[in-house]
Amino acid sequence: MAAIETAGLTKRYGDVTAVDALELTVEEGEVFGFLGPNGAGKSTTIDLLLDFVRPTAGSATVLGYDAQADAQAVSRRVGVLPEGFDVYPRLTGRRHVEFAIETTDADDEPDEILERVGLEPDARDRPAGEYSTGMRQRLATGIALVGDPDLLLMDEPASGLDPHGISDLQTLVREEADAGTTVFFSSHILEHVEAVCDRVGVLVDGRLVAVDTIAGLRASVGAGATMELTLDRPADRADDVVAALDDVTDVTTSGRTLECVVTDPRAKALVVTQLEDAGVTVRDLRVEDASLESLYTTLTDEQAADAAAEALEDGSGSDANPEREPEAVG
Amino acid sequence: MTSNVWAVARKEFDDAGRSRLLWALVGLLVLVAAVGYAALWYADEPVTASEALAFLGVPLQVLLPIAALVVGYMAVVGERRSGSIKLLLGLPPTRTDVVLGKLLGRLAVVGVAVGLAFVVALVLGAILFGEAPVFDWLAFGAITLLFGAVFVAVAVGVSAAVSTRGRAMALVVGCYVAIVAFWELLTAGPYYLLYGHGPPVQAAPWYLVLEQFNPVLAYTTLTNLVLENDLVPLQFQYGLESIEAAGMTPAERYPGDAPVYLQEWFASVALLIWLVVPVAIGYYRFTRADL
Repeated sequence: MAAIETAGLTKRYGDVTAVDALELTVEEGEVFGFLGPNGAGKSTTIDLLLDFVRPTAGSATVLGYDAQADAQAVSRRVGVLPEGFDVYPRLTGRRHVEFAIETTDADDEPDEILERVGLEPDARDRPAGEYSTGMRQRLATGIALVGDPDLLLMDEPASGLDPHGISDLQTLVREEADAGTTVFFSSHILEHVEAVCDRVGVLVDGRLVAVDTIAGLRASVGAGATMELTLDRPADRADDVVAALDDVTDVTTSGRTLECVVTDPRAKALVVTQLEDAGVTVRDLRVEDASLESLYTTLTDEQAADAAAEALEDGSGSDANPEREPEAVG
Repeated sequence: MTSNVWAVARKEFDDAGRSRLLWALVGLLVLVAAVGYAALWYADEPVTASEALAFLGVPLQVLLPIAALVVGYMAVVGERRSGSIKLLLGLPPTRTDVVLGKLLGRLAVVGVAVGLAFVVALVLGAILFGEAPVFDWLAFGAITLLFGAVFVAVAVGVSAAVSTRGRAMALVVGCYVAIVAFWELLTAGPYYLLYGHGPPVQAAPWYLVLEQFNPVLAYTTLTNLVLENDLVPLQFQYGLESIEAAGMTPAERYPGDAPVYLQEWFASVALLIWLVVPVAIGYYRFTRADL
């Protein structure tokens, strides 16, 4: 059984399609990253899974339960960290967790939960309205953990956290994953997803443009690592040695610096040994892996190119209004 | 319905108990009771404690609906706007639990305020007028609670039905104005258009049914039935209705024996219907809404 499975899941608001025929499967026990720019439809997808909004078409199951028909069964087994939530400003952090324990029919200790998410003891009995954004996020994370859920749905969990908080969050996600919990983790910040996720789905304009491991995504897009070598002599005397190698492209030189892109990881060592064999000494070496950022930009651009191609095909319609100011078109 | 209704209601009450709004409301109602009693005592009129109690119905007719609407109108929509509803519905409570729990929690808030005001009235009645009419006090207290509950239910129903604070406010203000200020225009107006004259004392039965369902009139009808008093409904008058009809219950205006639904006790059923219908409409809309 998949932890999350959607079939043709679609949500339209008037003319705007927030989620477009989404086919997504998240396996049990994995940490799945849900990546996309703000406004891509990530939160709407999560809202659909939680029955906060109802689909225009298609369906979703969460832990085998229909997201709409069995919404209550879903919410009993799923821990939710929503996006854009608020706390009850007059209730203490402890009272929030007590409420979660009571409604989930769990036997957790409020202090254990609050300890796990790092909410300091002196803050626990203060009204949550006095909490900083990071503390609210920790409290909501604690509420999500109540009742040991089988699935954690976290919508932009890193927002509002400082680097320390993000590191705590990543530790927590790994702990939960090790304990067998499936984690569904949305973010528009690539490093956060990269650090914890087994697989990543990329959502752009409501459409799933890629689902793969981070390594697999890189390979499929063909983004390699960039090598920057500092040599003992002007680099333009050595570039032909490097350019001759398979799996090496885009060789450029500047003074004693040689830059190239390696599309196969094994080619890196080859670059160095070939240079040494040619009598060139490598003084320094820097390797920069293609960031998910660039990969993500590539995917988005592909999507945009497809959309532009479609728009061109439908272009005759807009010609009816040639007088329109360019600003009005956007 | 699950036990989560109670969990939500208790959370609501805990939350409200820490709000200045509740204590302002309690203070207002207690003050009204105390000032009213002191004024009656100071005027040195021959007043019994029971009459003094009924006198409390005058300011309560105006203030309690306002207080109850203020307590209730943000109940659901407030959580939708702030986003705390996502935290709440991410937990096992369902939308049904939320609406019913909110209703119960806010009813409890208004109940505490009315209860404290009535305790003050009972104590002051005993001190100033030497009597503690416990039966009248309990009966009038129950009627007043029901009256307050109607407006809490209207407000919670509105709050569940709409998606913005502005709409909720516009609708509760509209309800209050329709009931208190425009009632005669809205009922006697069409009557005038239909028959060419305003409703006389013995008006057409449909008009008397509408009167029976006016919550303020239902409140005074029930109060007068129990306290044997002459509490007058405070409503804007436009002179459309016969002047003699003012202060008369629908049963008194009906020629001959009034049918069940026009009898005085039936005003309590009218209030109960007011308690249920707005919440049902709000609930229906809330369960179908995209949050």
